[in-house]
Amino acid sequence: MNIPVSHLAQEAIAALVDGELSGTAAGRAARHLSGCVQCRLAVEAQREAKEALHTSRDVAVPGDLLSRLQAIPFTADVSATGGFGGSGTLLATPDSVVGGRFSARLTPQEAPERPGQARWLRRGVAAGLAGIGIGVVALAVNLPTGGTAGQVARTDPGPAVSTVGERTEIVPPVVRTVSVGTDLDGGTP
Amino acid sequence: MPATDTWVAPTWEQVVRDHSARVYRLAYRLSGNAHDAEDLTQETFVRVFRSLADFSPGTFEGWLHRITTNLFLDMVRRRQRIRFDALPEDTERLPGTAPSPEQVYTDTHLDPQVQAALDALSPEFRVAVVLCDIEGLTYEEIAATLGIKLGTVRSRIHRGRVQLREALAHMAPGRRPVLEQGMR
Repeated sequence: MNIPVSHLAQEAIAALVDGELSGTAAGRAARHLSGCVQCRLAVEAQREAKEALHTSRDVAVPGDLLSRLQAIPFTADVSATGGFGGSGTLLATPDSVVGGRFSARLTPQEAPERPGQARWLRRGVAAGLAGIGIGVVALAVNLPTGGTAGQVARTDPGPAVSTVGERTEIVPPVVRTVSVGTDLDGGTP
Repeated sequence: MPATDTWVAPTWEQVVRDHSARVYRLAYRLSGNAHDAEDLTQETFVRVFRSLADFSPGTFEGWLHRITTNLFLDMVRRRQRIRFDALPEDTERLPGTAPSPEQVYTDTHLDPQVQAALDALSPEFRVAVVLCDIEGLTYEEIAATLGIKLGTVRSRIHRGRVQLREALAHMAPGRRPVLEQGMR
């Protein structure tokens, strides 16, 4: 009477609970379960553990964490490996520097299937950086020439483009008055 | 996230808004406390920001899962190394950093005993079980996330759940395991 009983493999029991068995395998498992208390209990135990975890899935993100995450584009140190770095998990290649940012690869990561589709966000960030860049360039163009041209150009509140155009017209009188002043050399007008 | 042709590029703010809760929840279930969960979440998003060039919309969730779980496993391994180096008697005196059950519930709305049982699992089993039963990933997705074979996923989930159930039964004697019920 002691017939060796074959039972469902443990992997099959987990897969059955998760609906990960193929149709024929699930059918075989069901037939076995109908006659095997031990495997039925094992399946029930898996289900019980699964349900224990399947409680409320809502977790509120702390507000200060959320604002820190939002600030990452401005605070992220592109050269450091960060708090969880080390052991070479972060690889930044020199040619991956795009627009002043690093693109980093996690070693266990799969090769991206469609890398081209990353452009939307990159373009957005790049556009933002470009916007800032234009402002910085405009400021940089303004400052040195403004310095030589005197205060008129520098205090001009108009937009950068029009300032560049107008400055040539404004500068000569300023330079002239300065040169007049030095020519007189302390003399009264 | 609709992957249509008229798909509009989200801003970083939207990325954070849409995905931070999922990442934080995963980080919390894995690490078992708010402090580590915040660190893991922060580091995950820093890496997302750094690697945007490799991002493809269809795999964004998978990508986040992968980064978060890998960072978690890194963290665990690093701490195991530190613990290994430390004196044995020191480890016993280390103050328990585990949050109070009330804190866990306030933070996560997950039964503190369930979280404690999760914490008792070995990290590899915990990751597999959390990804399956809390995050709802398929075996195939878990295999891709962790870079392991499908058979390994199955066995880790199975063994993880067995351990989880034992831990729960141990903590709450009232919670009778079905095995004992059935044996009567």
